Amino acid sequence: MNIKGSPWKGSLLLLLVSNLLLCQSVAPLPICPGGAARCQVTLRDLFDRAVVLSHYIHNLSSEMFSEFDKRYTHGRGFITKAINSCHTSSLATPEDKEQAQQINQKDFLSLIVSILRSWNEPLYHLVTEVRGMQEAPEAILSKAVEIEEQTKRLLEGMELIVSQVHPETKENEIYPVWSGLSSLQMADEESRLSAYYNLLHCLRRDSHKIDNYLKLLKCRIIHNNNC
Amino acid sequence: MKENVASATVFTLLLFLNTCLLNGQLPPGKPEIFKCRSPNKETFTCWWKPGTDGGLPTNYSLTYHREGETLMHECPDYITGGPNSCHFGKQYTSMWRTYIMMVNATNQMGSSFSDELYVDVTYIVQPDPPLELAVEVKQPEDRKPYLWIKWSPPTLIDLKTGWFTLLYEIRLKPEKAAEWEIHFAGQQTEFKILSLHPGQKYLVQVRCKPDHGYWSAWSPATFIQIPSDFTMNDTTVWISVAVLSAVICLIIVWAVALKGYSMVTCIFPPVPGPKIKGFDAHLLEKGKSEELLSALGCQDFPPTSDYEDLLVEYLEVDDSEDQHLMSVHSKEHPSQGMKPTYLDPDTDSGRGSCDSPSLLSEKCEEPQTNPSTFYDPEVIEKPENPETTHTWDPQCISMEGKIPYFHAGGSKCSTWPLPQPSQHNPRSSYHNITDVCELAVGPAGAPATLLDEAGKDALKSSQTIKSGEEGKATQQREVESFHSETDQDTPWLLPQEKTPFGSAKPLDYVEIHKVNKDGALSLLPKQRENSGQPKKPGTPENNKEQAKVSGVMDNNILVLVSDPHAKNMACFEESAKEGPPSLEQNQAEKALANFPATPSKCRLQLGGLDYLDPACFTHSFH
Repeated sequence: MNIKGSPWKGSLLLLLVSNLLLCQSVAPLPICPGGAARCQVTLRDLFDRAVVLSHYIHNLSSEMFSEFDKRYTHGRGFITKAINSCHTSSLATPEDKEQAQQINQKDFLSLIVSILRSWNEPLYHLVTEVRGMQEAPEAILSKAVEIEEQTKRLLEGMELIVSQVHPETKENEIYPVWSGLSSLQMADEESRLSAYYNLLHCLRRDSHKIDNYLKLLKCRIIHNNNC
Repeated sequence: MKENVASATVFTLLLFLNTCLLNGQLPPGKPEIFKCRSPNKETFTCWWKPGTDGGLPTNYSLTYHREGETLMHECPDYITGGPNSCHFGKQYTSMWRTYIMMVNATNQMGSSFSDELYVDVTYIVQPDPPLELAVEVKQPEDRKPYLWIKWSPPTLIDLKTGWFTLLYEIRLKPEKAAEWEIHFAGQQTEFKILSLHPGQKYLVQVRCKPDHGYWSAWSPATFIQIPSDFTMNDTTVWISVAVLSAVICLIIVWAVALKGYSMVTCIFPPVPGPKIKGFDAHLLEKGKSEELLSALGCQDFPPTSDYEDLLVEYLEVDDSEDQHLMSVHSKEHPSQGMKPTYLDPDTDSGRGSCDSPSLLSEKCEEPQTNPSTFYDPEVIEKPENPETTHTWDPQCISMEGKIPYFHAGGSKCSTWPLPQPSQHNPRSSYHNITDVCELAVGPAGAPATLLDEAGKDALKSSQTIKSGEEGKATQQREVESFHSETDQDTPWLLPQEKTPFGSAKPLDYVEIHKVNKDGALSLLPKQRENSGQPKKPGTPENNKEQAKVSGVMDNNILVLVSDPHAKNMACFEESAKEGPPSLEQNQAEKALANFPATPSKCRLQLGGLDYLDPACFTHSFH
């Protein structure tokens, strides 16, 4: 037994040592190779860019909603059916300044990223469905396409920010799932319009939320609450 | 039965309505919430419009519930927002959540409800106008003034945490302008206006807007007066400059008026007239050349040909005593007195060029001196300055009586000063002769070509009468006849005396011993007082040349022709600047005929000048 075990032990020990040696050479790249000061500057640029994107996305969403409502649903009380229709309402998002100031920075960033992730799929389907409409409204379609693309960019930027500010954050893929696709494809026009109305209404709101949150975070992280 | 019930019901209702109408009381009309606004995303206010009150005191209540809640709430604050309003404070305000509210009007007769209103605070944001608008005119030293506008955000808005973001816009216009000038200022709370109309009164206003929301109302207008000082300064400066320059102009005009002539004389000195001694300038000017010439004994003079730019050989005339002589002449013989209009005290004028060796013509032969006639064109007084070496000749004195034509006053005689080294005759001056000399020197090559082209252009030859100190009579006469474009293509071919090139002999003066009646000049070498030799060895009468004045031009020009008895010399003198020689054409033609070509041996080229040996030309000009 001992004779059999010692060569195994030796090889195991050898492997362990070599692994340790190898592991040492594989050091994780520092997030901020230039030091904290450099990261701060980069973070500022990242936040500036993110704010610009979020502002732009909300403007597009607001215009898209206004155009849709004016054309299809105005004065018909669709708003009443839009109550509690957003798929992101399950997220515990702050609803006033005091609540927003109570959330810690890390959770705040995770929240923003979750909202953005949750909108990937609805935006994709929105574009697909509007494109497939018989009389596709060009203005609405072009805006939907633009919103989809810019939201992807914003998400990438947010992930970069998170990796810089909170590099230890584990990738949390939990986000609210949208299930309104079937509603968009309903045959009944009234129901379909209501589905579109709800989708655009929620998109307008959530884009405003993200924009406001990012402006809050920017002032908090970059300017130390002294904008 | 049914009919009875129905009619009874109708009757009751009508009775009730009648009763109410008679009383004038009705339940309240339906109110309407017409506006909700949030100035800072932390509170908001809604206002309703009441319906008819029905003549009775009516109570209004606003009730609401929020999205995701079922519980109904009543308005927390009916007062802050004013009448018929509901104000929601911070604890009652939530963003990104729909409020469903309605107003209930109640009076004694009944109540009525308004329609439900769905309100999301997110989309009703409208701030108050900015505060503390300050407008100032700033005038930096080296730049134009500008308007500096400053303001503060409205109160109760949280910009520091980033909860609220404000964007500003300003507008301004001159008081009486019709349209506003609008400028977007972004998030900054100050602004510069650089394009201003000076001297105007401006109105300035500012307003703000959230990043997503409605524009506020315009702030109250601030008035600002733009100073127009800088334009006033410019105007004042220009006026003072204009006045000053006008005054200066007046002074200048006055000065000119008073001393105009002298100033003009100073600026534009009059052109000196020709200075040929012995000539009466005035007489010439008057055109009485015939008289003068007859007095001089010239014949066939002046030539009728008209030569423009005819440069004539000039003789160096010493006019060191010019002034005295002139004055004397003028006194004694006003008709023939010379009145030089201009005496050139420049002793070197013309002398240099004439003194240059290149101008010395070779001596062909020693001139025969047999002065039979003397020409005394100019009476020169004995120089008071003994240093002058050329002005006095005792022989002149003796000639006094023999010259009836000329001023016989004292020991006066005229001499033709010869070109001499400048150091000897510092006071000699050559007036127009200078120019003639120079002209002779200048286009020196021309004579050669001219000679070849017989009959084409004027001949230019220079001769200088010179008598060497050794006694060698070298006569140099510079004759320049330059005729370029006149009709008279009769060049003057003037014999020249060959003189040794580069002869170092100093030039000397030749005196005109006599002048014949017919105008022949008898020249004598000027005898220096120092030398005491009336004649130099080896230079006997040869030194004496005789020249006949063939004519005189109107402009103090002597046309000398070689004496047929002695030497064949032709001297044609002309003021370079004067008009064409008025030599007789016939004579010129004769001369030309006689000299179809210049014998080569007679031609001597000195420094570009072409000299002819008069000895070669035995022909006479006569």
